Amino acid sequence: MPDGSFSHPQQRSFNPYTENGGTILAIAGADFTVIAGDTRQSEGYSIQTRYAPKVFRLTDRAVLAVNGFAADGNMFVKKVKQRLEWYRHAHAKDMPLRAIARLIQTMLYAQRFFPYYVYNILGGIEEDGTGAVYSFDPVGSYEREACRAAGAAQSLVQPFLDNQIYFKNQQAAPGQSHPLHLPLSDVLSIVIDSFTSATERHIEVGDGLEMYVVLAKGRSAQGLEGGRGVQELTTRTDGDRVFVIRRELKKD
Amino acid sequence: MFLTRSEYDRGVNTFSPEGRLFQVEYAIEAIKLGSTTVGVCTPEGVVLAVEKRVQSPLLEASSIEKIMEIDSHLGCAMSGLIADARTMIDHARVTSQNHAFTYDEKIKVESVTQAVCDLALRFGESVHDEDAMMSRPFGVALLIAGVDEKGPQLFHTDPSGTFVRYDAKAVGSGSEAAQSELQDKWHKQMTLKEAHILTLRVLKQVMEEKLDQHNVQLAQVTSDKGFEILDEVRLKALIDDM
Repeated sequence: MPDGSFSHPQQRSFNPYTENGGTILAIAGADFTVIAGDTRQSEGYSIQTRYAPKVFRLTDRAVLAVNGFAADGNMFVKKVKQRLEWYRHAHAKDMPLRAIARLIQTMLYAQRFFPYYVYNILGGIEEDGTGAVYSFDPVGSYEREACRAAGAAQSLVQPFLDNQIYFKNQQAAPGQSHPLHLPLSDVLSIVIDSFTSATERHIEVGDGLEMYVVLAKGRSAQGLEGGRGVQELTTRTDGDRVFVIRRELKKD
Repeated sequence: MFLTRSEYDRGVNTFSPEGRLFQVEYAIEAIKLGSTTVGVCTPEGVVLAVEKRVQSPLLEASSIEKIMEIDSHLGCAMSGLIADARTMIDHARVTSQNHAFTYDEKIKVESVTQAVCDLALRFGESVHDEDAMMSRPFGVALLIAGVDEKGPQLFHTDPSGTFVRYDAKAVGSGSEAAQSELQDKWHKQMTLKEAHILTLRVLKQVMEEKLDQHNVQLAQVTSDKGFEILDEVRLKALIDDM
């Protein structure tokens, strides 16, 4: 070539993905689930916005947290919501949590060769009234768990959860055993501590915290209603209920 | 020109001036020539029964198949052109499997019925750029039985794509007599055993041949065991109990 472009090797690339930071987390109780995420969205060292929600209410009993590439995450949530509406029209009911989990798998795997660059955590109430958390990888592998952290500060938060929720490396007092599920107040404290600590140690975490609480039908909302920064999102009190608690996190 | 009916019964998708689709109505008539099929819904499950017309002593009765499985929780009995039903049941099976694959749950009886009925009016001349459609309406009525989160249910579909839920329903040649008998004898708290006996009695009344375990087929859908076709041994025992 006249411009000598073959004289030395060249490489061109197109990278369609960005990593937008932030962290999400979900913990299942016996008859409730807490799904939380911070609201900072960043790219490299710059903060794009201090308020970009990563946690979304899907139905009266399901909440989805999305972390990774924000554009993919927003599009994915939009498509899941559309599928939920179609399902409502076709089958005259809200999609059950385990059906949403399977749907998310099929939607993610459909993009196996150009994946949504997102880690999903789905939380809510199962058909039998128990709290449940489902975690996914970007191509759809999923598992039901009691708790899961994902995102920028996963490596900081997950070991803390393993210790506090699964009681890993803790010896029960003689003649006693560790509880299977913690009460809501303890879970909320663990979530808040997780995020304040992650904010301290990770530059991509901070600004705001949104915690969604899903309560099983018939469970009292004691300690939640009227609390600081608590807002109920459901209108009916005779079914499963969804609340959101908003808190500030450090902005530096 | 000699017009006994009218020219409106020619085109499969042309309304007559009175607002009727003759070909669809004729298809519904075709079902009345089919063998009698009965479905009965109880709180324990749904029972389906069909008459097999064994026209010749050389005919292998077990090769007549008029009750088919759609999924482990769904069954289907038919009357009319059985060959047409195969297209519909194939569609129902695929729909049910796809639902289980995508949502990890059993499809509702009403949803699978709706899916089958969506096929019913896809006949007529194909429009430009579209895939060729079916040339005529289906000539078959289905009784779709199943158990889901709403409990045992029985649906009836016809060639117009209409579907209705019934507590008890008869279709086919003996349907009028059978339906009035069902109306007399059906009650809310029927046991499965009572439903077996009722369907057999109703078939016995409308059948020309003497009813035995070779010329009827009986199936049930229950919440714990799902769909099952009763074998001749169980059938014989029920007939003896009648």
